[in-house]
Amino acid sequence: MNELHELHVEGLTKSYGAGEPVLRGLGLTVPAGALAAVLGPSGCGKTTLLRIVAGFLRADAGTVRVGDRVLTGPGTHLPPERRSVGIVPQEGALFPHLSVARNVAFGLTGVDRAERRRRTEDMLDLVGLAGYGDRMPHELSGGQQQRVALARALAPRPRLVLLDEPFNALDSALRAGVRADVRAALRATGATAVLVTHDQQEALSTADVVAVVRDGRVVQCATPQDLYRHPADPWVAGFVGDAVLLPAAVHADGTARTALGSVPLAAPSDGPRTGTVLLRPEQLRLTGPGTTGAVRGTVTDVRFYGHDAMVTVSVDGHGDPVGIRVAGPLSVRPGEETGIRVVGEGSLHP
Amino acid sequence: MRRPSARRITAFVAAGLLLPALAACGSDDDSGGSGDGGDSALVIYSGRNEKLVKPLLDKLEKAVGAKVEVRYGDSAELAAQILEEGDRTKAGLFFSQDAGALGALSKEGMLQKLPQATLDEVDTAYRGGEGDWIGLSGRVRVIAYNPDKVTEDKVPDSVHDVVKPEWKDKVGIAPTNASFQAFVTGMRVLEGDDATREWLKALKDNGAKTYAHNLATLDAVEAGEVSLGLVNHYYWYERVAEKGEEKVGSRLHFLPGKDPGALINVAGAGILKDSGQSATAQKAVDFLLSKEAQTYFADKTKEYPLAAGVTSTVEDLPPLDSLEAPDIDLGKLESVQETQAMLQDVGLV
Amino acid sequence: MHTPPESESPEFGTSGSASAESASRPAGASAPAGRERVSTPGGGGGRGPRLFRTAAGRKSCTAGEPAGRRPPLVLVIPACAAAVLALLPLGYLAVRALERGPGYAWEIVADERTLQLLGRSLGLTAAVVAACLVLGVSLAWLTVRTALPGARAWSVLATLPLAVPSYVAAFAWLSAEPGLAGFGGAALALTLVSFPYVQLPVAAALRGIDPAQEEAARSLGYGPLRTFLRVTLPQLRPAAAGGALLVALYVLSDFGAVSLMRYDTFTRAIHTSYRASFDRTPAAALSVVLVVMTVALVAAEARTRGRAGHTRTGTGTARPAVPLPLGRWRPLALLWCGAVAAVAVAFPLGTLGYWLAAGTSATWDLGGLADTAWATLGVAAAGAALTTALALPVGVIAARHRGRGARLLEQASYAGHALPGITVALSLVFFAVRYAYPLYQQLPLLVGAYAVLFLPVAVAATRAAVLQAPPALEDVARSLGRRPWQVLREVTVPLAAPGVAAGAALTFVVCMKELPATLLLRPTGMDTLATRLWTETGAGSFAAAAPYAAALILLAAVPSYLLGRHRT
Repeated sequence: MNELHELHVEGLTKSYGAGEPVLRGLGLTVPAGALAAVLGPSGCGKTTLLRIVAGFLRADAGTVRVGDRVLTGPGTHLPPERRSVGIVPQEGALFPHLSVARNVAFGLTGVDRAERRRRTEDMLDLVGLAGYGDRMPHELSGGQQQRVALARALAPRPRLVLLDEPFNALDSALRAGVRADVRAALRATGATAVLVTHDQQEALSTADVVAVVRDGRVVQCATPQDLYRHPADPWVAGFVGDAVLLPAAVHADGTARTALGSVPLAAPSDGPRTGTVLLRPEQLRLTGPGTTGAVRGTVTDVRFYGHDAMVTVSVDGHGDPVGIRVAGPLSVRPGEETGIRVVGEGSLHP
Repeated sequence: MRRPSARRITAFVAAGLLLPALAACGSDDDSGGSGDGGDSALVIYSGRNEKLVKPLLDKLEKAVGAKVEVRYGDSAELAAQILEEGDRTKAGLFFSQDAGALGALSKEGMLQKLPQATLDEVDTAYRGGEGDWIGLSGRVRVIAYNPDKVTEDKVPDSVHDVVKPEWKDKVGIAPTNASFQAFVTGMRVLEGDDATREWLKALKDNGAKTYAHNLATLDAVEAGEVSLGLVNHYYWYERVAEKGEEKVGSRLHFLPGKDPGALINVAGAGILKDSGQSATAQKAVDFLLSKEAQTYFADKTKEYPLAAGVTSTVEDLPPLDSLEAPDIDLGKLESVQETQAMLQDVGLV
Repeated sequence: MHTPPESESPEFGTSGSASAESASRPAGASAPAGRERVSTPGGGGGRGPRLFRTAAGRKSCTAGEPAGRRPPLVLVIPACAAAVLALLPLGYLAVRALERGPGYAWEIVADERTLQLLGRSLGLTAAVVAACLVLGVSLAWLTVRTALPGARAWSVLATLPLAVPSYVAAFAWLSAEPGLAGFGGAALALTLVSFPYVQLPVAAALRGIDPAQEEAARSLGYGPLRTFLRVTLPQLRPAAAGGALLVALYVLSDFGAVSLMRYDTFTRAIHTSYRASFDRTPAAALSVVLVVMTVALVAAEARTRGRAGHTRTGTGTARPAVPLPLGRWRPLALLWCGAVAAVAVAFPLGTLGYWLAAGTSATWDLGGLADTAWATLGVAAAGAALTTALALPVGVIAARHRGRGARLLEQASYAGHALPGITVALSLVFFAVRYAYPLYQQLPLLVGAYAVLFLPVAVAATRAAVLQAPPALEDVARSLGRRPWQVLREVTVPLAAPGVAAGAALTFVVCMKELPATLLLRPTGMDTLATRLWTETGAGSFAAAAPYAAALILLAAVPSYLLGRHRT
């Protein structure tokens, strides 16, 4: 096990040339030993953040600290090779001229030969590629390359590991497996890690903590569950998953009156009397068209995913159709009348 | 698949570069050692072709009793090189193909005045006006003709006649050749730019055929492509020496009456002032004026020996003093650039 | 542990067409659920994301780079040394051109005749470049992308003309047809010796283009020709432009062919100025104009590059392209290749063979020939080694950094390339005599002259080779504790090695053929095949010259052959 270090980023600012700033005072703390995902849409600044933490770019202002070591700060900019920050780039970026073992051993300098060999074997074993040391990178599949890249990054026991959309290049069948392996390997070494991604599913399923970045700032940093359940605003809600957003007026009893009827609120609101209520598609249930307490609607579309299905229903008195996630056997078809019932609580956003 | 072969090629190229490079460095050391031969060594910059003069310069080395290093090149480029070297020049002696390059060094004051005794060896026409260079061998402009096409008595006695209608499409020239340009320059000095330009125009309008060099012109005469060719005399004599006169399908006509077409140009030498090799260089000049060297020019390059008392051994070669060359200061033949511009305007080059 | 190795596993490089989905994802709210995304197709996949990096990512790869990452000193110092060496001739030209006051120099430059020469030089350059583009691109396409019988042999044959010195080609043509003298002959001879400068990089680029793009165009109703013109050709532009630049500078600097063909260009006027009037000022003033032309050409080439972005060329493809069947065009394609090989390779060799056979005055001095050949190999190898070593830092900086300084460094390396050899040689005489007298007329100075003359050849090759190595690899190496120079030694150079070696081979060939600078700067008494050839032809004995010409071409053909076989 490595000694554990916390990543602390504060007030990070960066702009390219005279253009709009890419980072606007970004702050982020990743607890020691945690795997954090930095999630954001294209252009939000997450790759810039990663390159500043790795030392490939200089920040205009702000600090980056790992444990008690300041890597970037006022008057400080450690070069990448002195940061002890490992990276796993997109597509792995293995050295094509070196064997798998020599790739993994690349960062093991100042270590005697036997130790280097042992460590290399351990790392390959860790990522499930024991015995692949003599292969050349082009003889490996994409997933294997990605795992070698991780082994290479972990081998020198870095204080922090950065993963730059590492699963992008893999086809979806492989992705889940590799993701799990990477997570397990990171756990096993106890390294603090930051995964940069634009894929919410990947972020929610892999990370301990997810930081959502928009326009160069962290808009919310929370555990995956909290993030999904209690997004900071409707944009985050929509970004981390499918959302049903309903204009609402809050009643004295603490429930919100919406196009889908009365919805209990998670936190009683004593502030605004109107706003938007957020529900998740799995909080909606289809019922018979005439069921009491249910709202009427017309099915407009059905998309079947195997494990569940997404049914789109247009509701009288609500402009946009709402999505309803249905598990189990499907009984509706487009054009049919149906009823909708809300289960659980919604959250109110001004 | 791709890597190993690429790697092999890389290794091959690397080895291919390194081995000869190392060898070159090794051999450089050898020549570097002999480079600093001390005061007695003589460095000659020779604008004359190695093939023509190497045997002579080998003899020269023995005659001066010092180590002689020869750097061959183009006369004009070597002159430019000496000008850039300035007072740190390595050259002790400049052996030039033509008078112009020597004149350029003389003009910059880089040549040393030669002793009067040396200068007196050759006619005043064939040495520098400042007495700092001396002609060693001469070549004369002549008209070569094809005896099957024209009889000797019909061959023009002046270059002014070759532009007459009877020679339309029957004259060959080598307008890029330095000797041809020297002759045109001489004509400009003698008759003025306007007259020369008119003559060149007439030549062009008369359908003169242009060739890359004198030898090609001579070939064309022998092949009957043209009847007349304006060339230097020695090309014909070299050819005769190689094949025998009966197998050479051309004859020469020497122009009388100081015609500009009978210009004599010289190859010569000058001693560099600042090289610290003056004494040896002077010995070299003496050798080049010696009977042995002068005879070499006559025998091997079929040029006219210029030193007093030496006559050419070449059969059928009219003696130098029988030639009626135009009177012209060879050092003044330096405005070749204007000549070239003129040739260009007229459309001959 | 999960999957068998995939044959199409990425070989780091070209962009694939895949995973457009991931990029086209809306940036705003109500993002689609991840599950709705179509899985990344396997073939050609893996590489996609590089092109489709987030906007921030793209910025950080291009405009952002220089701000954050200045080139390390370990590169900057030797690169600056290379640039200073390449700029030496400019210093000399300034001294000589202004010797008699700026007014005199201006008079020469502003002369009507100078303008004429400019027109003639540019006209010849344009004609040769155009012809080289046609020859180079057509041969590259035929040999790389079509089912041309013997494609491999043809592609090797197409590089062999590199071995033929321009003066030998010009001489061969002139001796066969004296009427060729002039513009046509000069353009012909220069085209036939320099089209491989276009053919080589374009062939490499063609191998790097993902065939999936062409297939997509075909499926959209484009015929093979339109596909080539609309899809393939635009992507070849940077490679073709780079080659065209080298051709253009080669034509501008050539003296051998234009003097034999009696076509007056800038270079010939510069020579004339030395030869006819022994006046170095006009020569220097005209040379300055030549340098200005070079700068303009280099800048023009840089603009094509800028528009095309950091297009990577020449990397391995995900799948080998299926050769395009030629059908009824096959005889025509063969005829075309055959005709080019005949005029560019067989003809000069045949002429030499004729001289060899016909020579009555030929005295075969095999020992002398071998010595000269060995000396030539040595000096050319040293020249190529030094040039390549100097080009390495410049090429790496040019490939990896985009600031103004990086651009200036690269452009400075081109300064001497369009100058005639004699000008470069005289400038080195000037500096060596004053500041490095012990080196004067020694081998190192000659080798240095080769570096000044041919630096761009090696820089272009190095730059292209480094561009093919993904920068991410260098980032990884840094993050694993390597200093910049260690990254260079352990990652960048090994990856770029095949391309750098190809550049070295090309430099080696051009050094072997170099004449004017060799004549002036060689150690006294040293001969190369080129100087020997000059001596023999100067004495009028073409039969005696033929063995040297043949040896020169045959020796230069070896690296040319390797270049033709080299696959990046």
